[in-house]
Amino acid sequence: MNGIIAFGELHGVFAWLYDLLASTGLSQPWLDVVRYTVLGAMMFVVLALIALFLVWWERKIAGHIQQRFGPMRNGWHGWYQTIADAVKLLQKEDILVDARDKMVFFWAPVLCFVVAFLAYIAIPFGEGLIVADLNIGILYIIAITTFTSISLLMAGWGSNNKYALLGGMRSAAQAVSYEVPLVASILVIILFVGSLSMVDIVNAQSGFMYNWFIFRVPFGPIAFVTYIIAATAEANRTPFDIPEAEQELVAGYNVEYSGMKFAMFFLAEFVNGFTVSAIAVTLFLGGWHGPLDGSFLPSWVWFFLKTFAVVFLLMMFRWTYPRLRVDQLMEFAWKFLVPVTFANLILGAIIKYAGWYW
Amino acid sequence: MGIYKDIKNLILGMRITGKHLGRHAITIQYPEEKWTMPERSRGVVVLLSDKETGDLNCTGCLLCMKACPSAAIRIDAPRDPETKKRTLLSFSVDNTHCCFCGLCEEACNFCAIKMAGNYEMSVEDKDTLVWDMNKLQEMGRDVPYVDTRKKKVPKPKPTAESKTPAEPKPSAEPEQKIQPKSENKNDNENKDTKDEE
Amino acid sequence: MGGLKTEEFIVNMGPQHPSTHGVCRLMLTMDGEIVKKIEPVIGYLHRALEKICENRTYAQCIPISDRFEYVTAMSCNQVFSMAAERLAGIEIPERAEYIRVIMLELNRIASHLIFYGVTAMDIGALTPFLYGLREREAIIDLFEMTCGQRLTYNYIRPGGVSKDLPKEFVPQCRSTIAMIKEKLNDYEGLLNENPIWLARTKGVGYLDPKLAIAYGVSGPVLRASGVDYDIRRDDPYSIYDRFDWKVCTRPNGDTYDRYLIRLDEIKQSIKIIEQALDGLPEGNIKAKVSPNFKPPAGENYARVENSRGELGTYMQSTGEKKPLRVKMRGGSFCQLQALPHFGTECFIADLVAIFASLDIILPEVDR
Repeated sequence: MNGIIAFGELHGVFAWLYDLLASTGLSQPWLDVVRYTVLGAMMFVVLALIALFLVWWERKIAGHIQQRFGPMRNGWHGWYQTIADAVKLLQKEDILVDARDKMVFFWAPVLCFVVAFLAYIAIPFGEGLIVADLNIGILYIIAITTFTSISLLMAGWGSNNKYALLGGMRSAAQAVSYEVPLVASILVIILFVGSLSMVDIVNAQSGFMYNWFIFRVPFGPIAFVTYIIAATAEANRTPFDIPEAEQELVAGYNVEYSGMKFAMFFLAEFVNGFTVSAIAVTLFLGGWHGPLDGSFLPSWVWFFLKTFAVVFLLMMFRWTYPRLRVDQLMEFAWKFLVPVTFANLILGAIIKYAGWYW
Repeated sequence: MGIYKDIKNLILGMRITGKHLGRHAITIQYPEEKWTMPERSRGVVVLLSDKETGDLNCTGCLLCMKACPSAAIRIDAPRDPETKKRTLLSFSVDNTHCCFCGLCEEACNFCAIKMAGNYEMSVEDKDTLVWDMNKLQEMGRDVPYVDTRKKKVPKPKPTAESKTPAEPKPSAEPEQKIQPKSENKNDNENKDTKDEE
Repeated sequence: MGGLKTEEFIVNMGPQHPSTHGVCRLMLTMDGEIVKKIEPVIGYLHRALEKICENRTYAQCIPISDRFEYVTAMSCNQVFSMAAERLAGIEIPERAEYIRVIMLELNRIASHLIFYGVTAMDIGALTPFLYGLREREAIIDLFEMTCGQRLTYNYIRPGGVSKDLPKEFVPQCRSTIAMIKEKLNDYEGLLNENPIWLARTKGVGYLDPKLAIAYGVSGPVLRASGVDYDIRRDDPYSIYDRFDWKVCTRPNGDTYDRYLIRLDEIKQSIKIIEQALDGLPEGNIKAKVSPNFKPPAGENYARVENSRGELGTYMQSTGEKKPLRVKMRGGSFCQLQALPHFGTECFIADLVAIFASLDIILPEVDR
């Protein structure tokens, strides 16, 4: 192979590399260790680049919505603004409050950062481009993303600051409340796929665009809308961003963090946003499939196009809507979203049982 | 139903922000592009010089010093006891005190002091913000102004040559009680020349 | 369940905070998320303006009065000039009156646009701030064209105004207010019927009209509680009685009404400006008064309807060219005083919304 990646054959490259590795004569467990380490490192690099791009993109979109330019100074239209910010944050003093809870304060950003990336082990970026096709894929992802709320609570507690504590408590309440409609929306789709593996879910949507789950009326669009709402809340984005509401709590749970620790929270937030978009695309929008049967673009191109479209939708939410108050948020979750998603689940179950689907 | 109205209004909100995405930004990139200041804009204080001779127009009448509410202008112009004329020895404006109100420009009858359109005054040493006569004259060299002083050379008849301040202009100076008074413009109304705050 | 011991804690919404409008310190006693007691601590922006005015002539006091409430500096200039004119018995020409009304109403629109942007930002919608300021830029461009400054104008003087309008003012003013009228539809579509906005502002922070009157609250906050009182109509000054406009009131005294009434007031101000531009006469812009005039001994209190309420100046003169005592009265002081009495028993997020809807400007409180 001369290293040129042909259309849709990126996984061929990985298969070839694996064969190359196996031919060196390593024993089986070590082979897997090396393989997964390399894949994990590659995924990390790709995601870090995506996170940097997303920060820049959000600032540009916010700027243009507000009829101004975003970053313009660092590079053409500010393309390396995020890198400059990251370098700046690296060299900032790490201010440590004396009265903090040392262990908790230290491990909160680490946990947040690591967990944000761990979820991508099971997300398919394209055909065959998945680190590990777990047979419990979506369950694993939901379980891992729940850890984010623990890390926010740890941040709030460890800072020993009233504002941070308020932010942490709010985030814990919000995350737990919105897990229920999130999982219930996903469950409807799982009913029709019959398997928890992400690759199986995408394969169930192969073919033309009407096979995508979002178009399978009546349960598809409802599940998509409730999923997007619950996912926005899980990612702590406006209109559900009270844990980090600048205007009320002066940045909430990360008020005492400075320098690289703050950068970890910040990047993890954007990576989370990308995660929920990627899950939306995989479950509802056909994953890596193009709109037609057989595609003229590589599968990862479709995946990224669709994911960035969903991320764009989340950004439009952020810059258009005001933020909900905490009790209204809870009320909305428990009194509106949970009944709707459960009704949708029952509806989906009836349709599946009666066979009224294609 | 309430839910449909809510969803419709949410989408309407997104439409409004969405249509701004296609519009050109209204901001300018500052150091490369600069806004042209209107002609009346009140920037720093400068001293104007005569267009032909290049000397300062200021006669040391001290009106601007009395008009300034922030005591930013300090003038040393002692009056010669025999000739009763003032000689201007020093004129300094403390830009850290100046509140850019423009009262000095309005008080002056000799087109000597003006608020130019310059606003970029950040410095690294605060002491350099106290400008003396030379600096003020230098800053005022390129500032365009309309010469409304009465010419000293007596003309046979006031024609369009000498522009009197009574001519209505868009940038007409406000009514000054000084005009109908005597020729001796060096006199000031107030007897107490030393009250400063 | 057994007693779960809770205690109230004090949170300092400190002088530096993104959403107290200026340096105002609020000490909040909170029980969880609910605010139980509010104690405002003020004085962080005190600049002794009233004392400074005692050592300045009347013409020199006008730049000082600009700084009293710099968001609506034209009103401050106006009230000061009115007090000085009443003391000295100066009559001002017609053209000056019309120009003053145009400037005052333009300044009112600019101030309400800031209110719109800042309130939306405090409640979480970050975009309307930029939209409000974009329109305000057009208005202060008009001011800059006329008097040279964008914030502290020093334009309305005792006797009239300081400079005549340039010839491009009237056409540009007409196009600016036409643009603002059209952009108001954008603002209303973005927030007025937004369910999240309604949930955050409707029914929040109810201000009883009797409480409002007891604390001396005035302006849009008072009228949003249903009290029909506007100094431009009830204690007339200048030439407002020549124009056809109406006083806006709203029945419920909650945050949503305080937000809506200011959008209504922008529309009424646009009406007044259009009529004033149509009827603008020619003539002098300033009465013949010396810059160092000496009014006879006496005292006077003049007040105008600011975008924050009643803005008043009490002036006492002994016949010298400097006033003996100048007292400035601003509407924000009374509203901040009333805040602890109707802002409790709400969530902290609601407190932020209520504080934003009162449109308090700290320089007016601290002077």
